[in-house]
Amino acid sequence: MSTWVKNLDYWIILCWLCLAAIGLVAIYSATQGEAHQYLGGSMKNNFDRQLLWVGVAAVGMVIVCLIPVRPYMELAFVGYGVCILLLVAALMLGREVGGARSWVYIGSYGFQSSELAKVGTILAVARILSANKPHRTGNTSLIAVGLLSLPAVLIILQNDTGTALTFIGLIPVVLFCTGTSLWAVTLLLTPAIVGYLYIWYLPAAIGFAAALALALFFWYRDIILAGAGALVSGGTIATAYFAMEKLLQPHHVARIHAFANPEAEEFRSGVGFHLMQSKAAIGSGGLSGLGFMEGTQTQGAWIPEQSTDFIFSVIGEELGFLGAIGLLTCFALLLIRLVRFAGRITHPFASTVIACTAGLILLQVYINVGMVLGLLPVIGIPLPLVSYGGSAFLANSILLAIVLNLCMRRRELSLYA
Amino acid sequence: MPDYKVTIFIAAILLSIGLLAGRLFGLQIIGRGDAQEVSRGNALRTLRLLPARGAIYDRHGVLMVHNEPSYAITLTPRYFVEDKTALLARHLGVEDSVVEAKLAEAREWTPYRPSISFTDVPFERYSRIQEDLFRLPGVDDEISQKRRYLSDARASHALGYISEITREELDIQEQPRFYTQGDLLGRTGVERSYETYLRGIPGSALRVVNVHGLEVKPYLDGKGDEAPVSGYDIHLAMDAGVQALAESLFVNKRGAAVALDVATGGVLVLHSAPDFDLGLFTGGINQPAWRAIVDHSDKLLYNRVSMNQMPPGSTWKPLMALMSLDAGLIAPTGPNSTVFCGGYHPLGGGHIFRCLGVHGSQDVVQALENSCNTFFFEMARRMDLGTFRRYANSFGFGQRAPSDIREQTTGLIPDSAYFNDRYATWGMGTLMNLGVGQGDMGVTPLQLVRYIAAVANGGWLHEPRLVSFLANPATGDTIHFAPEPVRIPVDTAYFSLVRQGLKRVMETGTGRAMQIPGIASGGKTGTAQAPMGMTDHSVFVMFAPYEEPRIAVAVQCENTGSSGMCAAPIASLLAERYLKGAVPESPSKSLRLGRAMMASSQALLTE
Repeated sequence: MSTWVKNLDYWIILCWLCLAAIGLVAIYSATQGEAHQYLGGSMKNNFDRQLLWVGVAAVGMVIVCLIPVRPYMELAFVGYGVCILLLVAALMLGREVGGARSWVYIGSYGFQSSELAKVGTILAVARILSANKPHRTGNTSLIAVGLLSLPAVLIILQNDTGTALTFIGLIPVVLFCTGTSLWAVTLLLTPAIVGYLYIWYLPAAIGFAAALALALFFWYRDIILAGAGALVSGGTIATAYFAMEKLLQPHHVARIHAFANPEAEEFRSGVGFHLMQSKAAIGSGGLSGLGFMEGTQTQGAWIPEQSTDFIFSVIGEELGFLGAIGLLTCFALLLIRLVRFAGRITHPFASTVIACTAGLILLQVYINVGMVLGLLPVIGIPLPLVSYGGSAFLANSILLAIVLNLCMRRRELSLYA
Repeated sequence: MPDYKVTIFIAAILLSIGLLAGRLFGLQIIGRGDAQEVSRGNALRTLRLLPARGAIYDRHGVLMVHNEPSYAITLTPRYFVEDKTALLARHLGVEDSVVEAKLAEAREWTPYRPSISFTDVPFERYSRIQEDLFRLPGVDDEISQKRRYLSDARASHALGYISEITREELDIQEQPRFYTQGDLLGRTGVERSYETYLRGIPGSALRVVNVHGLEVKPYLDGKGDEAPVSGYDIHLAMDAGVQALAESLFVNKRGAAVALDVATGGVLVLHSAPDFDLGLFTGGINQPAWRAIVDHSDKLLYNRVSMNQMPPGSTWKPLMALMSLDAGLIAPTGPNSTVFCGGYHPLGGGHIFRCLGVHGSQDVVQALENSCNTFFFEMARRMDLGTFRRYANSFGFGQRAPSDIREQTTGLIPDSAYFNDRYATWGMGTLMNLGVGQGDMGVTPLQLVRYIAAVANGGWLHEPRLVSFLANPATGDTIHFAPEPVRIPVDTAYFSLVRQGLKRVMETGTGRAMQIPGIASGGKTGTAQAPMGMTDHSVFVMFAPYEEPRIAVAVQCENTGSSGMCAAPIASLLAERYLKGAVPESPSKSLRLGRAMMASSQALLTE
C-alpha cells in the first residue's frame, strides 16, 4: 500500500479541490445572496446540496482508489451494459427535468443517467481498445466509435443534445489516442470547425479550408489527401450555405446567428437573453471583479441558470478577469497533467481512460465557457466540477479518481497487460 | 500514446483555453464599458430619497403642520407586465382602466424609472400589495409623506394647499430637474412662497434590481448613495391661538380678519372666510371635493385678506386726518382749527353730503371721535387728487405690499385719468366722497392693517410677513426675515394727535362698547357702501395697547351691516386674546362675542 500512496498524484487532487472550491463559492453567491428568496423551491438549497455532493464524491474517490485496477478492466463491459440499461430506463420511466428525460430515481434519490454513462462508456472504450490482440485492426476502433455512439443516440432521445455532444466529441479523441492516423482525425474534425467558422464569418471558413488543404499537402506530400481535405471542408461550406440559404426557414437561420449577435432586437428577450445577460455580467466584472456577493447581475438573478450552466458568468462578474483566468488556468494545469500521464503510461487501458477523461473535461469546459462567452450557441452542459449538479460532479470526480488510481498503480498495470 | 501526440494534445488544450482567455480579455478588459452600461441599465435602479418637507410652527413654537407617512404605489412601465393589470387593480380597489391610465401617464413621463402613480393608499391595501410585489413586476411600494395639520387653527389661506405637479409644470420646470411625476407642489400661502425652502434636497440611492424588477439590496452597500437634506422649517409670525379664535368668530360670514405685529409687521392673524379644509388636499384631493371648493359661490380659495378690495368707509378718516394735518389743509389757524358740522356739508344743499349727527365745531380729534363726515368732506374739498393719491400711496394703498403673501390685489386709489375714463363729468362731489372712504376706491384688509399699524407705531410702514424665520432642522441653519420698514413722511406729532382721536373713538365714540377691559386702545369703525342695494360691509381697524401698541387689527365683514355689530367686536376680541393670551369672562366679552356671533352676511345674489 505504501508504494502506491507514494505515487498518489497531488496535482490532480489539488486541482480537483480548487475547482470544487471555486464552484462552491460561486454557487453560494448565486443562490445564498439576495437572489435567494426569488429562486424556485429546490434551487434555494443548491449550496448545501453541492457541499454534500462534494463530500460524497470525496468518499467515493477514496473508495475508487482503494480498489485495485483489475476489476475496472474486467467489469468495464458489465458497467457499460448497466449504463445503457439505465439510459433506456430513464428514457422509458424517467422524469423530465429541465426538458430532458435523463433522470433515474431510486426512491426519492435521483441521478442523471447520462452522467453516469460517461464513466461506464469511457471504461468500456478503454477496455475494447486494450484488447489483447497483436495487431489491432480498424474493427476495434469502429467498435469503440459504436460504444460512444450508442449512449449518444439514447441521450439525444432523452432530449439532452448538449451531453450527447460530449460523447460525439470524444470520438475524434478516442481515434486520436488509438493510433488512427492524424489526417483521419483532422478530416473528422474539419466539418465541425468549418461549420463553426462559417456561422461567424464566411471568409474565415474558406481560409481554413484552403489552409487545411495546403497543410495536408505539404505535410504528407499527398495530393489525394489534400484533395480530400479540400473536399470535406469545401463540402461543409457548400452544405452549410445550401442549408442556410435554401433549406432552413429564416427564423432557424436567425436562431443560429443569435449566439453571434445576441443584442439584436429580435433575440434580446428570447434566445439572446441568456447571452446578453451573461456577457453583461462578465464584462462588467472587469479586471478584478465586483467582489464576492456584489455582482449586480448575479445578485439580481439576471442570468438564467446562474448556479448551473452559467456559473462561469458569476465568477466572471464577481471575481473578474483574474478570477476567471485563475479558473481556466486550473483546468489547463489539470488537463496537461492528465495528458502527460496518458503519454507516460504505456498500458493502453490506462492511457485511453486518462486521455478520454482529459478529452471529456476539455470538451465540457470549452463548450460551457464558449457558450457563456458567446463563442458558441447556447448548449446546456455544466462546467465540470464547478457547476451545481450532483450527478455531474460525482461522475467527473469518479473519473478523476479512476485516473488517480491508474496513475498510482501504474506499475501493477503491466501485470494485467 | 506517443510523444508527438501528447504534444499535439497539449497544444490543443492550450489553444482552446487560450481562445477562451482571449475572448475573456476582450469582454472584460476591452469591452468593459459597454457591458457595464447594459448591466447598469437592467440591474441597477436609482431611487430618489425624498427629504422631509419643512414643518410649520406658529410664533410660540406650536407645531401647526408637519408630515406623516403616506403609502404610495409606483409603476415602472418598462418592467410592468400588462396581464397583471387586473391583479393590481383588485388590490387597489380601482377599475382596470384606472391602472391602465396611470400606466400610460407614467410611460409618457419615463418608462424606465418609477413614477408615483397611486398616492395615499390605505395602509391595509398597501401592505397587501407589498406582500404580492413579487407577482407584480414593475410595481413598487414607496413610503412618501403627506401633510398633517395639527393645530386648532386651519389657517388655510396663510398656510396654503399643496397638490400634485402637472405634466406642463414638469416640462417647464427649471434645470436641473427637481420634480418628478407625482410630486407635490405648494400652490398658495407659505407652501407656495417658501416652496424652494420647504422642499429640501432629495437624495439618491442605487439599488440592485433583480430580473423580476424587484429591488434586492443596496448597490455597493450604499457607498455611492446620497442622503436627502430636509427642508427648512417655517416659523410663522402667526399666533395660532388668536388665529383659531378668528376662525371661530366668522360663522355665517364672508369677510377677512388680519392682524399685524406693530413693531415688526409680522402677520399674527390671517383669516379669510369662508375657508376650506387643507386636510382635503393631503395625498391628492379628489375631484368632487375640488369641484365643491372651486365652484362654491363664496369663492373659498379666494384670499379676501389680500385680494378683497372694497371702500374703507370711515376707517379712511385717520389717513385723511394725517394728510390734512401734514398738507396744511386744516390751516389757516393750525392743527387745532375746527370745522363746523351742522349735520351736513353745505355743498350740494344739505341733502347729498350728510353727516351722522349734528356735531357743531369739530377739531380733528373730535372729528375722529365722532366720525364726523362734515369735517372730512371739508378736508376733501380742500385737497387735490394728486395730494390724495400721494398720501394714500405713502401708506401703502393702491399698490401691492412687499410681502410673502403672494396673492394680492393692488386696490384702487383713483387718479384723474381714472375718473376721466369712467365719468363724463366729475368734480368736487366725487372728491368729497373719497374723503369719507366711499365711492370709487378700494382697499384690501391687508392694506388697512398695514396702515393702521403704521399709525400705531408713529409712521413706520412694515412689510407684512407671514414668516418670521426659517430654520433647518438638519443643519441648524436659520434665515431671518427682518426687512427695514419704510418711513412715512408725516410728522410724528400728527400721528399722536390722530391716535388720540382713535383712542377717543374707543372710549366715548362709536367703538366704546368694544373696548378691551383694562387695556386702552385706538380704533375706528367703518361702513362701506355695498353696491346694488346689498347690506353694507362692516369694517373696523384698531390697535392696542394705546401706549406702546403691539397689535394692529383690520376686519372686514361683507354685507353684515354697521361696523359695531360685526367687525369691531371681532377685532377687539382678537386683540384681547393676543394681548392677554386669553379672553377672560366679562360682561364686555359676552356682549362682543354675542354680537360677533349673531352677525351674518347677507347671501350673495346669484343668478
